[in-house]
Amino acid sequence: MSQQPPIKLIPRNVAALRRGQQPADGALLVPGNPVSTRLESGVGNCFPGLECDLRNLERRFFPFLEVDIQDTEVDVISVDLAGVQESASNGEISADTATTYRQISSGLSQGRRWTISQMRGTFGPLGGQALVIADLRLPSTGANRLPPDAWTAIRLLTEGTEVELTFRQGNTTRSIVGNRARYLDDNGALAKMFLPGELTQSLCSPWTHDFRDCACFYWASNHPDIALPVLPTPPSVTPEINTYVPWERKDRTVNTLPDPATINAPVELSHYEINTQWQTLNFVLEGRETVAPYQPGKFTAPKFASLAELLTNLRYAAGVELAVIHEYLAASYSLKVTGVPAAAQDDVNAARAELMRVAYGEMRHVRAVNDVLRALDPAAFVPALRVASQVPASQPGTFRPVVSRPATPETIQAFIDIESPSVSVDGLYSRILATLEDLGPDETQQTVRSIMADGESHFETFSFVQEWLNKHSPAEYLTNPSTVGAPANNALHQKLQQEYIAVLERLFNGYTLGIPAGAADINTARNVMLGPSGLDGAAEALAAAGFLVAFDRIADARFAPVNHP
Amino acid sequence: MRAPLAMIAGDTSAPLFKIFRSALGEHLLIVPHSRIFDLPHETNGDGDAQALPASLVAALADTANSEVPLDYVVEPAPQSISLNVSSSCNLSCAYCYAARGSFQGAQPDPMPWEVARAAIDKLLCGAEPLSPITVGFLGGEPFVNRRLIHRAVEYAAEEGSKRGLDVHFSVTTNGTLLQEEDVELLRKHRFAVTVSIDGGEQIQDLQRPTPEGRKGSYELLFGATRSLLGNPGLAQVAARSTVARSDFNLRERFEKVLSIGFLEMGFAPLRAAKPGGDALRDEDWPRYLEAIVEVGQSELERVRQGEPIRFTNLAVALKQLYRGASSPYPCGAGGGYFSVAANGDWYACHRAIGSSTFRMGNNAALDLYQRREFLRARHVHSQSACRQCWARYLCSGGCHQEVSTRTDSSCDFVRGWLEFCLAAYCELSVCRPEFFNPGTRF
Repeated sequence: MSQQPPIKLIPRNVAALRRGQQPADGALLVPGNPVSTRLESGVGNCFPGLECDLRNLERRFFPFLEVDIQDTEVDVISVDLAGVQESASNGEISADTATTYRQISSGLSQGRRWTISQMRGTFGPLGGQALVIADLRLPSTGANRLPPDAWTAIRLLTEGTEVELTFRQGNTTRSIVGNRARYLDDNGALAKMFLPGELTQSLCSPWTHDFRDCACFYWASNHPDIALPVLPTPPSVTPEINTYVPWERKDRTVNTLPDPATINAPVELSHYEINTQWQTLNFVLEGRETVAPYQPGKFTAPKFASLAELLTNLRYAAGVELAVIHEYLAASYSLKVTGVPAAAQDDVNAARAELMRVAYGEMRHVRAVNDVLRALDPAAFVPALRVASQVPASQPGTFRPVVSRPATPETIQAFIDIESPSVSVDGLYSRILATLEDLGPDETQQTVRSIMADGESHFETFSFVQEWLNKHSPAEYLTNPSTVGAPANNALHQKLQQEYIAVLERLFNGYTLGIPAGAADINTARNVMLGPSGLDGAAEALAAAGFLVAFDRIADARFAPVNHP
Repeated sequence: MRAPLAMIAGDTSAPLFKIFRSALGEHLLIVPHSRIFDLPHETNGDGDAQALPASLVAALADTANSEVPLDYVVEPAPQSISLNVSSSCNLSCAYCYAARGSFQGAQPDPMPWEVARAAIDKLLCGAEPLSPITVGFLGGEPFVNRRLIHRAVEYAAEEGSKRGLDVHFSVTTNGTLLQEEDVELLRKHRFAVTVSIDGGEQIQDLQRPTPEGRKGSYELLFGATRSLLGNPGLAQVAARSTVARSDFNLRERFEKVLSIGFLEMGFAPLRAAKPGGDALRDEDWPRYLEAIVEVGQSELERVRQGEPIRFTNLAVALKQLYRGASSPYPCGAGGGYFSVAANGDWYACHRAIGSSTFRMGNNAALDLYQRREFLRARHVHSQSACRQCWARYLCSGGCHQEVSTRTDSSCDFVRGWLEFCLAAYCELSVCRPEFFNPGTRF
C-alpha cells in the first residue's frame, strides 16, 4: 500500500487544542515557578535578597551536613543520616567517617552544640590553607592573607575540591574529609541536596525589619538613611536645618532639632521598634522630613508689567551672569597652583576646581538666557552679552558694584550671599519666571527653573568652599591676598583682554545666527577659551605674575556694561 | 485528581469519531472529550475510515493530562443543592412533574426553617471552597414559602461570606407571585431566575391554568414580572417553556415571550406525562426538531450580525461545544448536585422527590453506598442503548427521569439537534470568535 498523504487537522475548539498541544507522554506540568525562572535573574543577594537568599547556598557546602554560618563560628545544624547510611553501604565513605557523622547527629539530638572549629581546603584565589575559624577577622590584606570571616571562607572553597573539617563539641574533636559540594548539578539545576523552600527561607521583610540594616542600599531611594530635619515653626534659616539627620532615629520628637547624621552610631529605632512604630517615621518630601500637610511652593514674585520689561530684565540677567563670571574667575585664578602646604593641597585644589565649575555653570546660563530672549522675540533678537555694571546685593532691591577680588574669606562670603536662595539673583529670576508663566512658552520656564536650581547648588558649593578654605590661612592658599589688577599697559593683561573680546565676538556671531548656523562660532568660542594659548592660559599667566585676573570695561556697544533696570 | 470510585469501560467498538459538515466544509468530532477539528480536504464519501487511520483517531481520543478519563465514576463533593421549599402551587399545569409540589403525597408540607438551615450548613461544610456553591429554590411554587426563601438566602449569604465562599442562588418560579421585596432579593443576591412561561397569552393560560374563575396566569405573570424584567439589576433572568405535542409554533412563542421583556428563552420537550397525555411521541420528534432548528437558525442569523444570543438551548450548546464538554453523566444529579425535600431527605434529583431509587440520605448524612450505586448505574457506559452512539458524551444518556420514554426517535432528535449545533458552532467560531472568548482566534 502506498504511503498515505499526511492528514492535516486544524483544531476548532478548546478540547482539540488541549490534545494537540500535548504529546501522548507529555511532561506533567508541575505548579511552581515558570520554567524560564533562573537563579541569576531573581532579586537575590546576600542581604538577604527578595527572591532568594544566596547565603543559604552555603549551608550545605559539605556532604550530609547542614550548617549555620556566622562571622567566626560555624554551627552544625543537622546531619543527613539517610544519606550517610546509603553512602556507607555503597562504600563511598569509610565506616569511620560514617561513625563520626552519627556521633555528631546523636550529639545534636541531645541538644549538644557541634561547631566546625577548623577548616583545611583550597580557598579559591587564596590557595590552599588551614584555618582556625575563631581567628578569622578583618583586615584581610597582603600575601597569604586569610579569608576575613567564616562565610567568605566557605564561599571561597573551590567546588569539588577536598576539604577537611575539624568538629568540636566541648572538649571532643573529630575530623571528616570530604569534597566541597557543587551548587548546581550537570543539568544546571540546583543540586538535589537543597530542599524546596530552602533558598527563600530567610528573605528581606521589605516593610519593616530589614531596611533598618539594609547593607546593599536597596531601600535607600524610598526609605532613606538620612534626611533633612523638619522645618521648625516659626521657620528659621540656620545651618542646622540644612544638615542631614538620621531618618530612623529613636528620638521622634519634632520640636528639638535632632543630632546630625555625621555622628557615629546614632541611636536608631531597633528592629522590633521599627515593626511596631514604622508609622512614626516621617514623610520625606524634597529631601526634607515633613509633618505638616504638604504645600507645594507657591510662587509669589511680582510679575513684570510687560514683555518689554521682561526682555530688559532678561538682558540684565545675562549681564549679571557675565559679571559673576568675572568675579568667580578672578577668585579661582587667585588660588595658588604651586607652593601650597601639603595639609592644604587637597582643599585648595578642590576649591579652585569648584569655583571654576561654578563659573562654567554661569557661562551656560549666559547661553540659556540668550535662548530665552530669542524664543520670546525672535525678530528683534540681539545677543545679550553686555556685562552688568552692578549686581543684586543681599538686601532685596539693593545693588553692589562688580568687583574682581582674590578668594579671601570676605569674597567667598559675598559669593554665598549672591547665590543665597530667595534673595539677590534668585529674586531676579523669580520675577522672570513669574512673568514667563503668562508670556513664555513652557521651555523658557523650564530653562529659567533650571538656572534657579543651579543657583541653589552654587550656594551649597560656595558653602563647601568656605568650609575648606577656612581651615587654612589666606596666605597659604592665595598667591597674593591683596593682589590688584595689573597696570593697563601690562602685556599679559592686554593679552587677557584680547582673548576675552575674541570669545565675546564669536559668541555674538553664533548667537545672532542661531542654531544650527551659529554652532560653528559657538564651538570656536569654546575652544578659544581653553588651552595655554586661550583665555585660560592668559589668565593663568597673569595670575602667576601676581596680578588679579580682571576684565576691563569694553567700549564696543555690544559688550559695554549695562545698568540694572 | 481524586482516584475514581470505579471504572466502567465503554465498548471498544463504539465509534470514536464523527464527520460532519458546516458551511465551512468538513469537520471531525472526536467523540471522547468532544474535540472538534477542521478537515481541510475532502474525504472520499463514505471512506472516512480509510482517510483517517484508526491509530490517529485513537491517539486523539486519548485523555489529555488535565482531563478526567471518561470511564471514571467520580464522587465529587456536593457543590450545589436545591431546596424544595413549597409543597403547593397556585397554578395547576397538567404536566407538572411535582404534582403541584406535593409529589403525589411524598411532600405534604412546606419546608421548615430548621431543615433548610441544616441543608445549607451541610452544603457549606462539605463543598469545595474554591469553586462556586449554589443554593437553588424549587417547589411547587417556591414563592408560596417566600419567608423561607428570604431567610435562607440571608443566612447562606452571610455564612458564605464569613467563610470566604462564593455562594450563588437560583430559583425556578411560575412568576405570578413575585412581590417587590422578592424582586429586591433576586437583584441583590444575583439570582439565576428561571420563569416558566410557555408562550403568548393563549398558550400560557391554556397550558398553565389558574384555578377556575381566576385571572389567567399570563396576566398574573405579566404584572408580577414587570419590575424584575424592567430592572433585573444583577439577577440573570431566563424564560423556560414546556413544549407539548399540541403546539410546535416555537418561533412564535419565542418572539412573544421575548417581547414582554425576557432577554433569554429556552424550550424543553414534555416527555414524561400521564398515558394518553401531551408528551411527545415518536412521530412528533421530527416536527419538534424542525421547529427548534428554525428558532436556532433565526438566532444564528442575529448572532452573525453581532446581536447577542437569546435562545438558551443554542447558547448552552455552543458554549459546551467550544469548551469540549464531554461527560459520562447528563447532569450533576447524585454527583455535585442534590435536591433536598421538605423533610430533610436528600435526593439525587428534584424531579424524583419521594422516589426511593433516587433517595441519597438526609441532612445528617449522605448514604454513600446508595449514592455510589446510583452513580455506577447512571454512568453512560452502563446504558446499553447509548454505548454505540456518537453523542454519548454530549447527551450522556439524557435526563434520568426521561429514560423510560427513550426511543430511537427521541434519540434521533437529540443527534439531529447536536448536528445542527456542531455546524452552527464551527461557523460562528469563524465569523464571531469573540462570542466564545474575547481574544480567541481559531
